[in-house]
Amino acid sequence: MGKIFDVEFMIEIIPDILKGIPYTMTLAVISFIVGLFIGLIGALIKIYKVPVLRFITGVYVSFFRGTPLIVQILLFYYGIPILLRIINQRFGTSFDVSGVPAMVFMLVAFSVSSGAYLTESIRAAIISVDKGQLESAYSVGMNTTQAMIRIVLPQAVKVALPVFANFFIGLLKDTSLAFAASVTEIMGQAKIEAGRASRFFEAYIDAALIYWAICIIFEFLVVRMERNVRKNERGMEK
Amino acid sequence: MIDIRGVQKSFKNTVVLRGVNLTVEEGETVALIGSSGSGKSTLLRCINLLETPDHGSITIGDYKFKAHDISRHTKKEVRKRTGMVFQNFGLFENKTALENVTEALIIVQKKKKAEAIEIGRYYLDKVGMINRADYYPIALSGGQKQRVAIARALALNPQIILFDEPTSALDPELVQEVLHVIKQASDEKMTMLIVTHEMDFAREVADKVAFMDEGVVLEAAPPEKLFFHPEHERTKQFIDRYMQRFSYSI
Repeated sequence: MGKIFDVEFMIEIIPDILKGIPYTMTLAVISFIVGLFIGLIGALIKIYKVPVLRFITGVYVSFFRGTPLIVQILLFYYGIPILLRIINQRFGTSFDVSGVPAMVFMLVAFSVSSGAYLTESIRAAIISVDKGQLESAYSVGMNTTQAMIRIVLPQAVKVALPVFANFFIGLLKDTSLAFAASVTEIMGQAKIEAGRASRFFEAYIDAALIYWAICIIFEFLVVRMERNVRKNERGMEK
Repeated sequence: MIDIRGVQKSFKNTVVLRGVNLTVEEGETVALIGSSGSGKSTLLRCINLLETPDHGSITIGDYKFKAHDISRHTKKEVRKRTGMVFQNFGLFENKTALENVTEALIIVQKKKKAEAIEIGRYYLDKVGMINRADYYPIALSGGQKQRVAIARALALNPQIILFDEPTSALDPELVQEVLHVIKQASDEKMTMLIVTHEMDFAREVADKVAFMDEGVVLEAAPPEKLFFHPEHERTKQFIDRYMQRFSYSI
């Protein structure tokens, strides 16, 4: 009869589970950055009520916010190969699906999903900036792009930062779903180790602690960033 | 010099401007008075195209545009020639007082940073705000913010500065410091169009006072004439009511 809870095993497999960190971080960071770009474009389309695109953005946001992430992951995982096959058939190209790592599918899936959420967060942050700021930027001769980049977006970031931080933490943990597409991120590694010795609880405890540790480090960074974007509240430049 | 001819503007079903004519000569200070809703602010906003007029034409110095022919280029040219001071100050919240002044010098007028800072400090000094150059708007009083806003408008060296009720959002004891700065600019022959409810100030500083009523400039005349010998009954009523307001004793 073995131990009920094997502490030694739990410690022993930590290095193996840590191997998943680069995948987890790559997924979270890249999808977040791409999501920010998509979100900014989506937010501007919505704010400026761009015809046609506005409708497409609406459907996009609605769909990706209205379906579970795990379903989206599976749709991308099975959908992209089918899409490529159709393209190959129609245009006589020869994209090889099997050559594309699962990680790439997941990067696409997480980015697109993040973009939908961030579209709404960024839109809310931009419209929270007083309309007078844009008008006074116009009054001194700035065009819309200059006014956005120099005046409105920096103030929107201040509003959005806590929301972004919250979203990023959520995203970081959601990357654990990528194991469903056989990406060996933290959760994928933990599952492999767990299966190898049939010690599931130990492996998952490790995974939990690792996620938690990453989030604590991240929260610490956010506090510092917030201090930086809120520097105007200190009243004066030191 | 600016010349406004037949400017009309409606918002949905509300007609706000019904064909405004008004001329501000170079170096002149014109006070624009009238009841709330008479279209004063809308007129100001049509001049620098924060609102797009429906009809009419406006000349600002050497540049003339017509209401039906306004492009991005028009806006750029118009805003190059006009400065604006808002009721709610409109200072960039993410910039210090000095940066508020230098921002457009650098970004719009493409001046070197060192030169912009020199100009910025000069104008902050002029409005008595040089010792607050590194303060963010959040740390300034209303009067201080408005003085920085005036410095920002002056620094761009426009052909006219438009003031949209510059003292209406201020605590009473802060009004004077702002009026003082505006008077100073007027004395230096800056061309200015000021929407105001400060009748004493209008009388003292303006070369000409224009009375707006129901979307038109009913009459424009030197202050002594407009305040004491107005041509229209409507003007007289408005001015009497104003004088009365300050004659209450408690």
